[in-house]
Amino acid sequence: MNRTVCTRCVMDTSDEKITFNSVGECSHCQIFDKDSQSMWFPNETGKQKLGKILEQIRKEGEGKEYDCIIGLSGGVDSSYLALKMKDWGLRPLVVHIDVGWNSELAVHNIEQIVKYCGFDLYTDVMDWEEVRDLQVAYLKSGVSNQDVVQDHAIFSSLYHFAVQNGIRYVISGGNMATESVAPHSWHHSAMDSINLRAIHKRFGHKKLQSFKTISFFQYFFYYPFIKKMTTIRPLNYMPYNKKEALEELVRTVGYKEYGRKHGESRFTKFFQNYYLPKKFDYDKRKVHLSSLILSGEITRDCALKELEKPLYDPVELKNDKEYVAKKLKLSVVELDQLIDEPGRSYVEFDNWDRHYALLQKLKNILQKVTNKKIKTYA
Amino acid sequence: MLRVRVIPSLLLRDGGLVKGRQFKHHKYVGDPVNAVKIFNEKEVDELVFLDISATSGGQGPNYELLVDIANEAFMPFGYGGGITSCDEIEKLFKIGIEKVILNTSAYSNPDLIRNASRVFGSQSIVASIDVKTSFLGRSEVYVQNGTRGTKINPLDYARKMQDLGAGEILLCSIDREGTGKGYDLNLLKAVSESVDIPVVAAGGAGKLEDMSKAVSEGGVSAVAAGDMFVFHGKHKAVLITYPSYDELKSLF
Repeated sequence: MNRTVCTRCVMDTSDEKITFNSVGECSHCQIFDKDSQSMWFPNETGKQKLGKILEQIRKEGEGKEYDCIIGLSGGVDSSYLALKMKDWGLRPLVVHIDVGWNSELAVHNIEQIVKYCGFDLYTDVMDWEEVRDLQVAYLKSGVSNQDVVQDHAIFSSLYHFAVQNGIRYVISGGNMATESVAPHSWHHSAMDSINLRAIHKRFGHKKLQSFKTISFFQYFFYYPFIKKMTTIRPLNYMPYNKKEALEELVRTVGYKEYGRKHGESRFTKFFQNYYLPKKFDYDKRKVHLSSLILSGEITRDCALKELEKPLYDPVELKNDKEYVAKKLKLSVVELDQLIDEPGRSYVEFDNWDRHYALLQKLKNILQKVTNKKIKTYA
Repeated sequence: MLRVRVIPSLLLRDGGLVKGRQFKHHKYVGDPVNAVKIFNEKEVDELVFLDISATSGGQGPNYELLVDIANEAFMPFGYGGGITSCDEIEKLFKIGIEKVILNTSAYSNPDLIRNASRVFGSQSIVASIDVKTSFLGRSEVYVQNGTRGTKINPLDYARKMQDLGAGEILLCSIDREGTGKGYDLNLLKAVSESVDIPVVAAGGAGKLEDMSKAVSEGGVSAVAAGDMFVFHGKHKAVLITYPSYDELKSLF
């Protein structure tokens, strides 16, 4: 297939919403250039800004058991961040959300990090039968974002815990250096519980009892404005290089490296390296590599070479597919059939888009009236 | 191979993994199939699964789940829960289970142990003994997930199990289970001295030293633990861990 590729990063027309400027640079590069000015400070300015934020967190946390909360998946970003938080003297409650797909690498890394940092760990274990039912419902729906179930669970659990423990600072490993490129056309937000419930209602069988969802109101209003919860992304205030972070983790805590991005969840690995490319022709490596090009960690040539590599080793794919099928109580044939069916857009199911549009309107009006910029999670 | 087997002992209830304290207050800790996969990669030598819903619910072993576990497990594993006949035992062996563990039915139907060990060999038949100790220090064997007292002294009971043909005893202190206070060393010592077959300590392990004590002071030949390999830290965060080979080697 002939695709137009961006001249600066490696995103291409497999993102149907992509546009290019006169020199062939894509919309993602342009967004990066704009966002990085207000969000990314891998320099002295960042150091000062972060210093102030940390001081505020520590100050507000005085006398409390924890001053912030962080979700730890075992992946490089959150693990490295945890290590830094120890250096900064933060006292986080570390939460791990177990949705049933943890690899040994993930649990090993979590164990090493919390032991080394001396942080308290709390694990929220999702009821596997419920998660399984939801995941099968998602597979049946054929939407592109199959990680919604775990991503929603992770956020929801983290916010519930934060409120429960009177914590208002959520420290996130999210960062511009390694994940600035995020094509909206590939993924609908995992936070849309209207969509989640609609898909579950159509294809699910079990009642959702222990699975906690975050409503539109909670996400955009209750948590940010009533509970004053703030998400801090410290990695945006410092030079962050994945390779160096990994080396430091291996050296200090005996971190075990994942072969691929998202090796911490067996499902995410299968979903990103098989389901998405096969069903939608989306290759998530392009997103990751483009982010790294834009932040200057790798060159475009290096990324193009990386993309020539096969997505999956055939033996590994066979094993992973069998495991995913078995965990979901499907036969391999059934799983293949679900993946072979044509993909569907999330808009075929009820979703938050109309609420979201209204919210944007309200926000614009409020901003005009109050002459202030309103920051929400959006 | 280590001289002393260190066995994660995992409880099943309605297809999920659970963990409790003193045989009560069970809490969901995850999906057994994924747990097995993690234990595989941690190079665990042996696993034990006890289904606490199989006897009380009356439905017997959950074969479907056990097949999934057996297909995933690289290591030998023992299973107990709801087993009442030799036919069931045969079915379990066919699935790939190495050892069957009998508790309630060993008490109510001693012939089952006798016949099973004759047919399948005693090395594959384990008698599970759950013991509660009263304020006055009097120990009593309990069955049906620790809900029913038998008025029988554990030493007599263990000898009886050996005589019936059990090849191994899984000895659990109900009072210590899930407390992390260490094994009941007196109980371990008394039972292991009164039988010739291997005794596996269970109930109470909170740290690695508890395990070495169970061997050096309690005289057992293997140790089992649940909490230690499933929980981490003061919030009892669910996190599967297992000591490294070197740590275990230096222990015994």
